[in-house]
Amino acid sequence: MDEINTNVSRRRFLQATGVTGAATAAAVVGIPGTGMEATSAEAQTARAKPNTVITKNICHQCPARCGIDVYTTDGRVHAIYGTADHPISNGKLCPKGPLGTYVLYDPDRWRGPMKRTNPSKGRDEDPGFVPISWDEALDTVAGRLNNLRDAGESHRFALLYGRGWGASCAGLHGAFGQLYGSPNVAIGHSSMCSDGSIISKKMVEGNAAYNSYDYNNTNYILMFGVGFLEAFRPYNNNMQVWGHIRGRKTPKTRVTAVDVHMNTTLAASDRALLIKPGRDGALALAIAHVILAEGLWEKSFVGDFDDGVNRFVPGQDVPVAATAQPVPNSTSVDQEANLPQEPSLDSPEGGTVVPLDALVYDDEPADGPVPNVATGRFNERWVHGLVEWWNIELKDRSPEWAAELTDIPAETIRTVAREFGTTRPAMAIYERGAHAHSNGIYNGMAIHSLNALVGAFYAKGGMMGQMGPSYGPMPADANDYMDDWAQNGNWKDFPRIDKKGHEDGYLMANNMMQDVGPNHLAGDPYKLDTMMFYLTNPIWTAPNGQVWEEALKDVFIIDTSPFPSETGHYADLILPDHTYLERLQDSPTYPFQGFPMTQLRVPAIEPIHDTKYYGDVLIEIGKRINGPMGEYYRELGDTENVLRHLAEGFRADPGDNGVNDFESWKEKGVWYKRRYIYRQIGGTFYKWDGTDYSIEMTPEEVKQIVFPTPSGKFEFRSGLMEQNSDWIAEKTGRDPANLMFPIWEEPVHHGGGDLHLVTPKVALHAEGRGHNIPMVIAHLQPTIGGRGQAFCEIHPDTARARNISDGDRIKITSDVGSVEVTARYFQGVRPDTIVLPMEYGHWAAGRWSKAVPTEHAGEATVNVSDRITGQANYYSSKVNVTKA
Amino acid sequence: MTMMTDTAPGAPRGNHFAMHLVVALVLLAIGGGYVLYELFTFGKVQFNTTNAGIFWGFAIVVYDYFLLTSTGLVMVASLYYVFGLEEFRSVARRCLWLAFAAIIGGVAVLFLELGNPFVAIWATPLNLQTASPLFWKVLLVAAYSALLALVLLGKINTREDKGSVLMIPMTALAFIVTLVAGSVYGMMAMRPMWFGGDVPVVFLIESFMGALAFTVFFSHLKNGFNHGNMRPETRLLFEGTLARMFAISIGLHFILHAGRAVTGLWSNAEGMQVWQYLVANPLFHFAMWGCIALPFVLMVLKSTRSNGMIQILAAFLVMVGLLISRYEFIIGGQQVPLFKGTWAPELLHYSPSVGEWALLVLAVGLANSVYAFAAWQLGAEDRA
Amino acid sequence: MAKWGMVIDLETCTGCQACTTACAMENNRLPGENWQDVLFYSEGEYPHLNLSWLPRPCMQCENPSCVSVCPTKATYVDEGTGVVLVDWNKCIGCKYCMVACPYGVRFYMDEAPVVQPDVKATYPGDGKRTWNPPFKMPDEYEDASKGIGIQPKGVVSKCTFCYHKISQAPEGVADLDEDNPETKEFTPACVRVCAPKSRFFGDLDNPDSYVNQLIADKGGVRLKEETGNKPKVYYLSGGGSPVVPGNRSRRS
Repeated sequence: MDEINTNVSRRRFLQATGVTGAATAAAVVGIPGTGMEATSAEAQTARAKPNTVITKNICHQCPARCGIDVYTTDGRVHAIYGTADHPISNGKLCPKGPLGTYVLYDPDRWRGPMKRTNPSKGRDEDPGFVPISWDEALDTVAGRLNNLRDAGESHRFALLYGRGWGASCAGLHGAFGQLYGSPNVAIGHSSMCSDGSIISKKMVEGNAAYNSYDYNNTNYILMFGVGFLEAFRPYNNNMQVWGHIRGRKTPKTRVTAVDVHMNTTLAASDRALLIKPGRDGALALAIAHVILAEGLWEKSFVGDFDDGVNRFVPGQDVPVAATAQPVPNSTSVDQEANLPQEPSLDSPEGGTVVPLDALVYDDEPADGPVPNVATGRFNERWVHGLVEWWNIELKDRSPEWAAELTDIPAETIRTVAREFGTTRPAMAIYERGAHAHSNGIYNGMAIHSLNALVGAFYAKGGMMGQMGPSYGPMPADANDYMDDWAQNGNWKDFPRIDKKGHEDGYLMANNMMQDVGPNHLAGDPYKLDTMMFYLTNPIWTAPNGQVWEEALKDVFIIDTSPFPSETGHYADLILPDHTYLERLQDSPTYPFQGFPMTQLRVPAIEPIHDTKYYGDVLIEIGKRINGPMGEYYRELGDTENVLRHLAEGFRADPGDNGVNDFESWKEKGVWYKRRYIYRQIGGTFYKWDGTDYSIEMTPEEVKQIVFPTPSGKFEFRSGLMEQNSDWIAEKTGRDPANLMFPIWEEPVHHGGGDLHLVTPKVALHAEGRGHNIPMVIAHLQPTIGGRGQAFCEIHPDTARARNISDGDRIKITSDVGSVEVTARYFQGVRPDTIVLPMEYGHWAAGRWSKAVPTEHAGEATVNVSDRITGQANYYSSKVNVTKA
Repeated sequence: MTMMTDTAPGAPRGNHFAMHLVVALVLLAIGGGYVLYELFTFGKVQFNTTNAGIFWGFAIVVYDYFLLTSTGLVMVASLYYVFGLEEFRSVARRCLWLAFAAIIGGVAVLFLELGNPFVAIWATPLNLQTASPLFWKVLLVAAYSALLALVLLGKINTREDKGSVLMIPMTALAFIVTLVAGSVYGMMAMRPMWFGGDVPVVFLIESFMGALAFTVFFSHLKNGFNHGNMRPETRLLFEGTLARMFAISIGLHFILHAGRAVTGLWSNAEGMQVWQYLVANPLFHFAMWGCIALPFVLMVLKSTRSNGMIQILAAFLVMVGLLISRYEFIIGGQQVPLFKGTWAPELLHYSPSVGEWALLVLAVGLANSVYAFAAWQLGAEDRA
Repeated sequence: MAKWGMVIDLETCTGCQACTTACAMENNRLPGENWQDVLFYSEGEYPHLNLSWLPRPCMQCENPSCVSVCPTKATYVDEGTGVVLVDWNKCIGCKYCMVACPYGVRFYMDEAPVVQPDVKATYPGDGKRTWNPPFKMPDEYEDASKGIGIQPKGVVSKCTFCYHKISQAPEGVADLDEDNPETKEFTPACVRVCAPKSRFFGDLDNPDSYVNQLIADKGGVRLKEETGNKPKVYYLSGGGSPVVPGNRSRRS
């Protein structure tokens, strides 16, 4: 072929594929007809092309739910890339994403169902697992459950789960608990995750959920302990956002990041503030103080003094005349008493979703602030209790006051406050760094209040709620299969084992998994008989997990992880799940950009071992339960049938990418509709009319959807807190006069040491398995060279005062335990704090993690929780550090 | 070694060559056995080189040490054979055989170090990468070794001590190989510790100096370390011309070595920090003062240089000091890792593994075996 | 004939190491032996520590010292792509290229594993290969003459700019952009995966390529210009014309 003609034909090829390539996503690479071969004479004569098939899936290594293209050739999965047409991954991945094949081909995976032969349990006991058939395994479980139920003790079965994904796994739990009759089906891990943010948001905003964010349009982000470029979900998309807002957007988004040590987030930001642990609330209060004192709040959202004169004078009360009208009658606090609707996602971290059909399209105008005669009264628009908050708390919360507590200079605080207060749109985000402390509820409320002051809610470049997918109905309605025990059994008289929602426990919490072990050990409120675990390993992950090691010796344990784990080491039955590349599994999005989206995992290959998808295990157990419950599960059939029914919902509401049934969902891997339908513009809430945000929302709609608080507004004076103020005051000794406001409260630190122990999640932490992925072990801690192990970051002065040299082995000791790790001098960590990534120290989870010489920080972490949010206070322990 | 018998002039080949061979073979067996065991069982993982920055380890040090010793010995031999310095006649043949022994020992180590040594045999000449100093080094060393072997072939069991025409190209090759060996390092502009046009000259001087030390040492060894057994003309050479040459070359070596160290300590260039580390190490001072300055003094003073035991001592010190210097130079040039970030320390630390030490034992054993066998059976020590 | 080059925008790079792991998985790298690494540095004292990082692939120099020193021409510049490759059939493992590379981007096979236990022992070789991970690239991509595939014993390996991908690209394209469906599959793994889109890949010989535009608009610089190796990887750091490191001796 002559070279010139070849070139011409290549150009034609480009033009041709430009059309066809956009129209159809090639499912097969490199076989004739897909346009990837025979582009030139050289290519035609080149080597044979592999016969590669791409399947859609979503990554399992963090909660972000990135759509992935899985490349399989000759039965071998050899590459994973982001799915181009996926709103979260957009073709990109984080460092964990490509490592999924290590998860699939992990040599330590369970090969099939097994039972324990050694009745003794303990760290040093060999379980003596022997293979059994799936029938024997499932019959064993069902037999136990039937016996318990027959004995009237069904409450003694507990199901604990971590990273639930969708309607076909964790979404099945609600019905299982209802039909079987146990308050402990299921107990989520959200209190060990980040309920501190969910519940603190709920108290002021009304929605008990993570927010979704419009980062791409924001001009200022203030971050409190979030690890935005390490761990904050969705990490991959956060980095895409970062590239946009920091590199390509005009104007460039400014970022101030607050944490206790230097990490990539702080380093990449405009300003890094190294704060004293647990003092984030003080910083937020001082910022609010400056914003009010200098008149920088967003008047259109917050409201203003009716004469326009700012009466927020530091140190002074705003005159009583200015206070707003009394609190409206509070409505029921228990917004989520309604059982989770199947098939809505029983979100593991309490993220509730606003169903699409909650929308009522009408054109009732919202009430604006009523102009008044100029009396100096503060007319509140969408906030409640601002003047009271100032008078009770903020007026004395000056930058100078906060500087003392936080170690951040007053001038810096003032600068940050002015930047934050004068840049719109702006948002303040926070996670565990700020709220995993004894005062987490107030740190969270104070930070979230900043978003109200700048009018970030539902604004362009602000934050909003997450909408749910348009799923069809389940194959059967569980309510039709409730027998007498399910409806009226005395199991309903028992509290949950973790005392969630109980006066003696955690009345206002979502979950209290960290207390399941200790409560069972104490037999308070009772002893469990059987426990089943899905994607959670609390013997290892719970703070002070040593207690669980003792507690779980006398319970029948069923683990469903594909991998060995510490909880699995205690198991009586192993019912191994597929890994994610072998599963057919749905997963609605986590709070992301608000618009509805749900994804599908499509198996790339046949299961390589004798494993079974957890959802099907649950259904198979259900089928074996006596009575109508078994009928219900026979009606469900299997998870594929469930998913086919859910996908029916897409027919009436096709996704933007054309997904309108199960088959197209499988092909594309995701159903989504990009339009988010609510928007606050200049203090008015609108709905999408099909072309624009033009339909004004009524105050009732705002109350239902945006701010489901007693007042229907953002509440600086939390009605939900106030309704429970007696209980809060009794259990925590707080002052009923101010406990409902975002106030400053000195954090309490347990553990008996003198250094704060902070144990963050790092970018390479692949949930549940990163510790046993050699590629993760080689790259875990790049900032200080942690390769092959995780170093404990320690300030050189702190170390020298303890006679510790760089690279020495050190002992970290608290009242509950002691662990040994390697110290690394680091100028980026506070001298009063040591930082040890939560990753290693596994003793029964695989060959690679076992070989890592870093012990587990959790064994020196005291199990204390925020009484209101239930958040395990992972970062509140203080420890002693000595040379080992 | 003191048990060695008198091998005064004219005496038949002594048993002590056989003894020498036995000892050398034992060393060879120990060193070679260990290395081969390791390589076949675990592979080169056993060597302490790393991808973090120490790419060339002790094996390369040993190889270059033996190679330069060999070329230096040819230079010493050429003083008689090519340049006609009659005084050197008494050691010339010994030097040639020692040169051959050294090159065998060195190349053996190189073959055990290279990833695919046998590929090198065809891939180097066939690809003509003339830009590479190593390409030239491989070709030149091959030609040099071949010529050396050819020359020695003509000397087996003869007492003929005349130089042949082959001696001239062989000597030229010895010089060129030495210079090219220096260029392998000296051309590396990205490594300031190595970089410099003076490096080939340094190698030349060190090579010659080392060869003089080996000449002295092995001449004494041949005589059972008994000064009294030595031929008068050899004794005269060692107390006179050779001692002076030795002293001058040690002096030059001292100047060049100290100059590099001082320049290195002064320079800010990336990579030169290693000099701080090197100079802080007692080994550097042992080599500098104990193995260079002291032998220099011993060779300059008439009273000491005429003492046989002191000649042996000086030679031995120079031999050891040169190995240390070669080690510091080759390893030191790699200790500051290029572009490695937090994964690698600012300065890499390296010490030879047991297997790498065994390579030295192997090389010593092999070279001595060759020499002792040649002396015992091939007339290496026979002279007209 | 393209002269492929890469642009890395340090203004948006988040130091996540996705380039590293994506490269490692695409190219069957051993854990910690990174053709593409992200190097971290820190200087200064609490509370103002300067933590910084630099993604570092092979610079694919136009004037590569590694090629000049290789005694067997095992390391060579591929004519069609300008990529520096290693022919594993010719490599003798002398490691002179590793010594001579100013950027430290070459890797010898027979070294102690970075992570224990050795993955090579977990996924043992089959005689033909030194190790045999089930997730290795399809056999069709392996090409020892270009240093693609499972690295054999006793040889040196390096970044190939994902030669097995880019060499399949239609001729004449100016840029290989992962966001363009036509070029996605031909884009190097490290570029394709980069979430903040800090990496760009294109033809430096094509005046219309986006990489050339970026280099011009944002003042692209090359590392260690003083070595004269003339890298084909350019770094941006947010600036226009005035830029920090070594713009000197940009000789043509």
